[in-house]
Amino acid sequence: MLLVAVAVPFFGAVLVWAWRERAFAHWLGVGAAALSLAAVALLPIGRGDGNWVITGGHLSGGWWHQLEYEWAPAIHLDFALAVDGVSWPLAALTALLGLLCCLHNALGAEGRTSAPLQVPVATVATGGPSLAADDVSGVPGQLGPGVPGGAAALGASGSFAGAGAARPSASLTALLLAVQFASILVFFADNLILFFIAFEAVLLPMWAIIHRYGDPAARRHAAAKFALFTVGGSLVMATGLFVAVADTGTADLGAIIVGGGVGSGVSLLVFTLLAIGFAVKAPLWPLHSWLPDAHTAAPTVGSVLLAGVLLKLGTYGLIRIAGGIAPQGAADAAPVLAVLATLGILIAGLVCLSLPELKRLIAYSSVGHMGFVVLAFAAGTEAGIRAALFGNVAHGLITPLLFFLAGALKARTRTGLLGSLGGLRLAAPQLAGLLGFAALASLGLPGLAGFWGEAFTVYAATERGGAWLALAAAAAFGAFLAAAYLLRMLRRVSHGPIVPATDGIGDASTVELAVWAPLVAGTLLLGLMPGPLLDLFGEGLL
Amino acid sequence: MRVQAIDHVALLPLYLAAGTAALALFTGRFAKACMMIGLSAAAIAAVIVAAGADRATFAVGPWHSYWADDAAMGAAALFAGLSVLVAAVSGRQPGEYWFLLAVSAAGGITLAGARDLITLIVALETLTVPLYVLVTKPGRDGAEAGVTFVIASIASSATALMGAAFLYAAAGTVHLAGLASNLGSADPALTAAGAALLLGGFAFKLAAAPLHAWAPLVLERAPLPIATYLASASKLGGAVAIIWVVYFGLAAGAETSTGMVVAALSVASIAIGNLGALVQRRTVPLLAWSGIAHAGYVLAPLAVVATAVGQEAASAALAYAVFFVLLEAGAFAALTAVRPVAAAEGRVSGVGEGGAIGELAGLWRSAPLPASVFLFAVIGLAGLPPALAGTFAKVAILEVLAPSAVWLAVIVAAGSVLGLAYYLPLARTVLLGRGPATGKGRFAIAVAAIGLALLAVTVAPQAVLDFTAVSR
Repeated sequence: MLLVAVAVPFFGAVLVWAWRERAFAHWLGVGAAALSLAAVALLPIGRGDGNWVITGGHLSGGWWHQLEYEWAPAIHLDFALAVDGVSWPLAALTALLGLLCCLHNALGAEGRTSAPLQVPVATVATGGPSLAADDVSGVPGQLGPGVPGGAAALGASGSFAGAGAARPSASLTALLLAVQFASILVFFADNLILFFIAFEAVLLPMWAIIHRYGDPAARRHAAAKFALFTVGGSLVMATGLFVAVADTGTADLGAIIVGGGVGSGVSLLVFTLLAIGFAVKAPLWPLHSWLPDAHTAAPTVGSVLLAGVLLKLGTYGLIRIAGGIAPQGAADAAPVLAVLATLGILIAGLVCLSLPELKRLIAYSSVGHMGFVVLAFAAGTEAGIRAALFGNVAHGLITPLLFFLAGALKARTRTGLLGSLGGLRLAAPQLAGLLGFAALASLGLPGLAGFWGEAFTVYAATERGGAWLALAAAAAFGAFLAAAYLLRMLRRVSHGPIVPATDGIGDASTVELAVWAPLVAGTLLLGLMPGPLLDLFGEGLL
Repeated sequence: MRVQAIDHVALLPLYLAAGTAALALFTGRFAKACMMIGLSAAAIAAVIVAAGADRATFAVGPWHSYWADDAAMGAAALFAGLSVLVAAVSGRQPGEYWFLLAVSAAGGITLAGARDLITLIVALETLTVPLYVLVTKPGRDGAEAGVTFVIASIASSATALMGAAFLYAAAGTVHLAGLASNLGSADPALTAAGAALLLGGFAFKLAAAPLHAWAPLVLERAPLPIATYLASASKLGGAVAIIWVVYFGLAAGAETSTGMVVAALSVASIAIGNLGALVQRRTVPLLAWSGIAHAGYVLAPLAVVATAVGQEAASAALAYAVFFVLLEAGAFAALTAVRPVAAAEGRVSGVGEGGAIGELAGLWRSAPLPASVFLFAVIGLAGLPPALAGTFAKVAILEVLAPSAVWLAVIVAAGSVLGLAYYLPLARTVLLGRGPATGKGRFAIAVAAIGLALLAVTVAPQAVLDFTAVSR
C-alpha cells in the first residue's frame, strides 16, 4: 500500500505527460490521483501496536507500515518508507488536494481563465511583486498555453467543444501529480537522504507550474524567486541532515528519533541548520518573502498545492525532523523561534490589513497561520506539538478552499482588487456564502477547523509562563488582526451594492461545488470532532 | 641486476589503447572504426581487470608506480568510454584526428593507474599534448584557442614540475606512497611550496581557479567534439591527478598545507565560476564557467582529506568528478549533435559553434532526443531531481563536508543556489522557448548512449559509488 501510494502518482505523471495530447490524459491523471488517495486511505488498516522497539539498528513495531530497499548504501541512501499517525494525515491531505486539483483541471472548472488574466505589467495591486518586475519585457511572446500544451489545448478543446470549456493543458495535470508524488514521498520517507532528495524533487515541477501556467505578468519573477529561496533552504537543511547522519552513523529517521537524536555537542548546530532550511519552506518571518509572490502568480491549482502541501513540508520537517533528531537544540533555540513566529503573526496581520488584492491577502495570511504552527512547536509542550500538527492540517484544508474560491472569483470578474469588487452576496450567493464560511474558518471561529490549532497554540504558550505569556498575548492579538482583515475582505467582496465587475457573473457551478465539497466537509469535521486526529498525533513518533 | 617481472595483465588496458593509437595512424579510412573498437576493448579490459584482485607493478621497494585497483580501472574505463563517445560525435575527420584522440585516451588510462609523480606528469602531458593540435581549427579563432591552450598548458606543466621537484627534494622519492611516509619529517616550507605548486599546476587541467581562464576561451573556440573531450575526459584527468596526489601522497605527510591550498583553490573556483557563469549569454562559455565552479566542488572534499574521514573524502571527490564529467559529456554531446551542419564544416563565421543560448529555443520540438539529454544534463549539473545523478554527487560531497567543515559545506550550498540562477533559464529556454528550430539532431546513437548512461547512474548510483571508493 505504501509503495502504491507513492508510485501511482509517479507513473501517473509520466503517463499523463506521455499522452498529454490525448483527450483522456486528464482523466488518467484523475484516476491516478484517486488511486493514490485510496491507497493512502487504506493505510490505517492493520497498523502496528505503537510500541517503538529498536532491533539491530533498525526500528520496528511503531510504524504502521514500513518497507526498505537498499539504493546506495555508500551515501546512506535507502529507499525506506514508513508511516505513522503524524505523517499519515498530511499524506492523506496531500492525496486529497492532488485529486481535487486534478479534478479541477479535468472538469475545466476554471475554463474562463485559460485566456491570459492580465496583460499589463503586474503591480502589488494586481498581484505582482512589490518591486518593479524588470524582466517582464518578454511577456507578450510568452502568452497563451505553453509549447507542448498548445497542441494539447487545441486537441482538448476540439474534442470537448460541446462542453464549451477550454481546459488547461494536461501537462499541468502531470506536473501536479509530480508534486503530489514528491510530497507524499517526503511525508513517508524514513531515511534522511531520501527525505532530502524528495524535498528537492518538489521544486522543479512546482517551478514549472508557476513559470508556465502562472499569471503572465508576474510569473517569471515569482518562479525564479521561489526556486532560489527553496533551493537555498533545502541545501542548508541538507547540511544539517548530513551533520546528523555523521554524528549518529545512520540515516534511519525512526532509529535516530527513538535513540534520542544527535549528541549534545552538535544538537544546536543541527537544529539551527535544519530550522533555517525548513523556515524558508514553512515560511517563517523573515524568510517568507518568496511566498506572496509565488502564491499570487501561480495558477489556482498551483496556489492550492503551495498552500496545502508545500508549506506543510516545512512545518512537518520542523516538527518531525528538526525537533525529532535534535530535541536539545530545539529546546535551546525555542525562544528565538517563538519570537520570530510571533513577529510573523503580527506582521502578516498588519500587512494583510492594507493589502488591496484578494489572492495576495490570502497568501500573506498563510504567513500568519504558519507562525501559529511554529509558535506552538516552539512552546514544546505536548499540547503545543499537537496544536502545531493540528493547525497544520487545518490550514491545509482551509487555505486551499480560500484559494479555490479566489480563483473562481478572479476567473469570473477578471480582477482580484478588493476595491473593484463588491456585492458578491447579491450576484452569486453560493460563492459569497462559501467565501464567508472559509474566511470564518480561517479566522478561527470555534466549531470550525481553524479554531483548535490557534486556541491551543495560545494555551500552550501560556502554559510555559514567564515571557511566553507576552508571546501568547501577542499571538492572541494576531488572531484578532486575522479576524479584522478577513472581515474587511468579506465586507469589500461580499457586501455592498453590485459593482460592474460582479454584475452578471454566474454563481458556483455544480462542478465547482463538487470539487470544493470535500474541503468544506473536512473543515466542519475537524472543527466539530478534533479528538480522533489529536489521538492519531498522540501515538505518532515525535 | 635483477630484472623485475612486469604484470602485463594490469597493463592490458594501456597496451590496448596505445596499440589502438598506433593502428589508427596507419589504417587510413578505417582509422575511426579502428579507434572506436580498440578503445572499447580497452574499456572492457579495464572492467575485467577491475573485477579481479587489485594488481600492482613496477615496484621500487614496497612502493609501486602503477596500481590497477577498482578506482583506477574504473577511471580508465571511463576515459576510454568518453573518448569513444567523442569519436562518435566527431563525424568525418582526417586520419590523424583519430590517432591524436587515441593517444590522449592512452594518456588518460596511464594516468588512472599512475602512483608516482613522474608517471603522473608524463601521463598528464600525454593526455594534453595531442589536444594542442585538436583544439586548433583553421582561422583566427582556432589559432587563438590553440595558442592560449599551449601557453596555459606549458605554464602549468612547468609549475607542476617545479612542485614535483620541491617535493622530491623534501622527501627523496617520487612515489606517492613514499611521499606519504617521508614528508612527515621533511622541511615544512619546502613541502608546502611543493604542494602548492604541484596542485596549482594540476588545477589547470581541471580548470580550477586561479588557472581557469583558458577554459571558457578555448572551449568556445575549439570544435565542439573537442570541447566535449576537454570538458569531460580531460577534466577527469585533472581531477584524478589531484585526488591521487592529495590522497595517496600529501594527505599523510603534508596535511596542513595541502588542506589550505585545496580549500583556497576550491572556494576561489566556486566563487569565480558561478559569478562568471551568471553573466554569460552563450551556451558553451556558460557551461565552461559553471564547469569551473564544479571543479571547486570536486576539490572541496579534498580539503578535509587529512582528517579522520579522509578515505570518504577522496571517494566523494572522485564520485563527484565522475558524475560531473558524465553530465558535462551529456550536455556537450547533445550540443554537438544539434549544432548546425554549416558550423560543423566551418562555414559559419564568428566566434564559437555553440551559439547563443537563445538559439536553443524550440529545441525541444525540433530535436527531442538531444534536447532531453541536454535538459537532463543541465538539471543534473544544477543538482536537482529528477536528474538524480547530480543530486547524488552533491549528497556525496555534502555528506563528507557537513560533519568536518560546515563552513565549506555552506559555501558549496551557496554556490549551488547561484548555479540555479543560470541553469534554470537555460533549461527553460530549451524546454519552453519559442524560436526557429535549430536543425535536426545528429549522432542519435551516441547521444542515446550517453543519455542511457546518465539514466543508469541515476537509477543505480551504487555502481559509480562502488568503484570510486578509493582504497589505500
